[in-house]
Amino acid sequence: MAADLLRSLLRRPAGMISACLLLLLYGAALFAPFLSPTIPSAQDLSRTYHPPTALVWQNGHLSVRLYRLVDPSTATYEPLPDQTATLRWFSHGPAYKFFWLIPSTRHLFTVSSPATIYLLGSDATGRDVFTRLLYGAGISLSIGLIGVALTSFLGLTIGGLAGYLGGWPDTLAMRLTEFLMAVPGLYLLLALRAALSSRFPSDATFLLIVVILSALGWAGTARVVRGLVLSLRERPFILAANVIGQRPWTILFRHLLPNTFSYLIVAATLSVPGYILGEAALSFLGLGIQEPSSSWGLMLGQAQDIKIFMLNFWWLLTPGLAIILTVIAFNLLGDALRDAVDPRFRLPGK
Amino acid sequence: MAQPVFPIALCALLLLSACSPPPKVSRQTHPLPAGVDIARSEIGRSGGVFIDSSPGEPSTFNPLVSEDATSGGFIGLFLDSLVHNNAVTQEVEPGLAARWDIAPDNRTFTFHLRPGVLWSDGHPFSADDVLFTFQAIYDPRFPNRAAFDLSVDGQKFKVEKIDDLTVRLTTPQIYAPFLETVGGVGLLPKHELEPAFRDGTLLKSWNVSVAQKEPQRLLATGAFRLRSYQPAERIVFEANPHYWRADAQGVRLPYVDFLVTKLVKDANASTLAFATGQTDAEGLSPDNVAWIDRYASRYGFSVFNRGPSPNTGFIWFNQNPGHDTAGKPFVTPYKLAWFTDRRFRQAISHGIDRQGLVRGVLFGRGQPLWGPETPANKKWYNPNVTQYPYDPARSRALLAEAGFQIGPDQKLHDRQGNLVEFTLNSNQENQLRVNMATAFKENMRDLGITVNLSFLDFGTLVGKIQDSYDYEAGMLGLTGGGDPAGGISVFSSKGRLHQWYPNQKTPATPWEARIDQLMSDQLHTLDYPTRKKYFDEVQKIMSDETPFIYLVTANAYVGIKDRWKNIRIPPLGSLVWNLDELWTPLLTP
Repeated sequence: MAADLLRSLLRRPAGMISACLLLLLYGAALFAPFLSPTIPSAQDLSRTYHPPTALVWQNGHLSVRLYRLVDPSTATYEPLPDQTATLRWFSHGPAYKFFWLIPSTRHLFTVSSPATIYLLGSDATGRDVFTRLLYGAGISLSIGLIGVALTSFLGLTIGGLAGYLGGWPDTLAMRLTEFLMAVPGLYLLLALRAALSSRFPSDATFLLIVVILSALGWAGTARVVRGLVLSLRERPFILAANVIGQRPWTILFRHLLPNTFSYLIVAATLSVPGYILGEAALSFLGLGIQEPSSSWGLMLGQAQDIKIFMLNFWWLLTPGLAIILTVIAFNLLGDALRDAVDPRFRLPGK
Repeated sequence: MAQPVFPIALCALLLLSACSPPPKVSRQTHPLPAGVDIARSEIGRSGGVFIDSSPGEPSTFNPLVSEDATSGGFIGLFLDSLVHNNAVTQEVEPGLAARWDIAPDNRTFTFHLRPGVLWSDGHPFSADDVLFTFQAIYDPRFPNRAAFDLSVDGQKFKVEKIDDLTVRLTTPQIYAPFLETVGGVGLLPKHELEPAFRDGTLLKSWNVSVAQKEPQRLLATGAFRLRSYQPAERIVFEANPHYWRADAQGVRLPYVDFLVTKLVKDANASTLAFATGQTDAEGLSPDNVAWIDRYASRYGFSVFNRGPSPNTGFIWFNQNPGHDTAGKPFVTPYKLAWFTDRRFRQAISHGIDRQGLVRGVLFGRGQPLWGPETPANKKWYNPNVTQYPYDPARSRALLAEAGFQIGPDQKLHDRQGNLVEFTLNSNQENQLRVNMATAFKENMRDLGITVNLSFLDFGTLVGKIQDSYDYEAGMLGLTGGGDPAGGISVFSSKGRLHQWYPNQKTPATPWEARIDQLMSDQLHTLDYPTRKKYFDEVQKIMSDETPFIYLVTANAYVGIKDRWKNIRIPPLGSLVWNLDELWTPLLTP
């Protein structure tokens, strides 16, 4: 079934492009320490708000232009004519741990000190925005995946049990979901964050946010799964399973729930952007990921200052672009998946 | 087809009215009081509207209730005091009292009020108003902040009326900041507020609702009186026709007809309103000066550098040796040993790249700070405090001397082998402070010290610092400036803002005992050189012992439209010191 799904997905251009884009983004997030020229906490207070460095081809090598700080009071930089630093491939740079395990100092590209490469400029303390964007992707993107995994698990279990068992477990579960859906999401999010924040050290904030977001998100999935299970359990194949004397748990886990998977895959894909945006919103409001860690929402929140706009430090808004691209990609992929899973839903003209 | 004509006609009408010169405002004319004060500034021309903006709304117009700077600023516009603290010269100048005598005992002050001064309703101002004000302040029915400032060790001042224009105040002991404190007390009109005083509703009078409905009841002795207040929109003050100052040609001040304050949502909106030419004056932060300068010629304003601001920023370690009710120490004992070691604190101080912070975070508009006062406080600043320039080698030497060493993991360990690691708490609202905290973390990493950052909202942070004490290090700022007496709660070991170890029963260290002694001594002499000597020593001890590791101070800036003449900008406090002397040759902006 998975192979079929993949094949029909790849036949759709939108689905294929977005799948490739997401693969690229997740790959970049996974290999962030290697792909980035430095580490996200490395500062250079003499190069704050540095514009993106231009790449030029010189003497048969890819090189970066060097810049001079013309006016520190406005952070104005000027390229130095004919001065470049050659890009070094697979060279040694700041130490990091690959996958939190393997220590390494290899970076895809660096320039030799004292020159620095700022592919996407630098921020208020001279940190490389490109590096922070890559490291931030790890947090922002994995929050989506982990969150969806958690909600799908919760939704599937609670919804499946409620639909199959009926009676008071059903009533209890459904009233709970109604309660969760009735509470305005952002306020509950803020309240939970405020209530739990003092108990968690700041490095656990990441997990805390995922848990909060999932705790709010499972209600919708649970309701749909319950509905699906309710209709499925009246089908002949379930009757047949009952007749040959299979136990209720076996019926639930072997026959009922697997039949909701196709729906779940689509729903999960379409709800990933919600988590990414949720994290961005929390971090934007200063309640999510905290310095010196980076996430797209946090970076975007820090770019919310008039001087960023007035002095045209546009490169600080690139996390916003990354969020937009990711969200669009997930939505397109979700649409394509839905078409692939259930041809009856296909929109006319496709 | 006739329909669109109306709006177009209306627009044209509005445009016309906007372009034509504003109607000449006719002011009531009254004879000048006998005790008129003649301004020595350039002679100007009456008329004009001065517009500024405020991100904060006043919470009251009653000086007995006011606790915040926004309300205090508005109250200061219409309520005058016996003397003024000139923010430009930092000297005490005559106000409603034309002169004063100090008796040889240095405790008795006789104030001679200006004859002929009237309240804005035409009622004479007299010694009875002064007595009434002190009576109201000291009345236990009306708890207020001034009552605390106007007492020494809990004892009130004695206030006597000699005659209608003479008042004598006696302090129980010599009280150094007496004149400065009296300078901050806005005098209340007895004839207007006495009924409220009698029936105990004084704290409810002159609230924001009265200001909206009956602005004329807020009687003024200052340069302006309230004309109207629309919450979330604007506050309009008009020239007080009975003001007691005039220029050399006998024209009554203030020159401006109206003072309009737009009430805006936040500091960003306020800055933007000025940058787009909508307001006449604005205080600017160093990171915004860069782009605002670009609009200077288009909207005809100039940005003035006020020099270093009185705001200090610092990092400190929790040195509180106490423990909570469950018996758990506030600070882990081995960490407390580091924090109470002066060499450790000095090493940290030497490890901070303050020049880098100024250059990077403040756009080069600021300077390193080494002591509790910034150069903005010209009268009391001690330039000869101990400095800790960026010198990681010196830091390492100090740490080695204190028994710390770099382990095989390239991290710093203490004598017992404990990893040197601490959590720095700060508030998240201030982005410049967040940037400084991350820069500090990097500086410390170079020394092998691991710093974890924790950003809390301001209320939670204050709770940790002042109530639960369960933190290791903090980063905050205080507004300095003014008389040393204002710093007692910080420097004295009994003080509430003595943040590294507040509310001590007896001083924990000999140097804290010495500071306590100096702070008490400086309070009980009126002699400026002696007080300055004492306070200089306090600043020196603070820099030697570094309980607060001072960081940087940003410069303060004021933007003012070029059409205003006679501008005097104080290094601290309000944007323009002499609002009553401002004038403009251009009545339309």
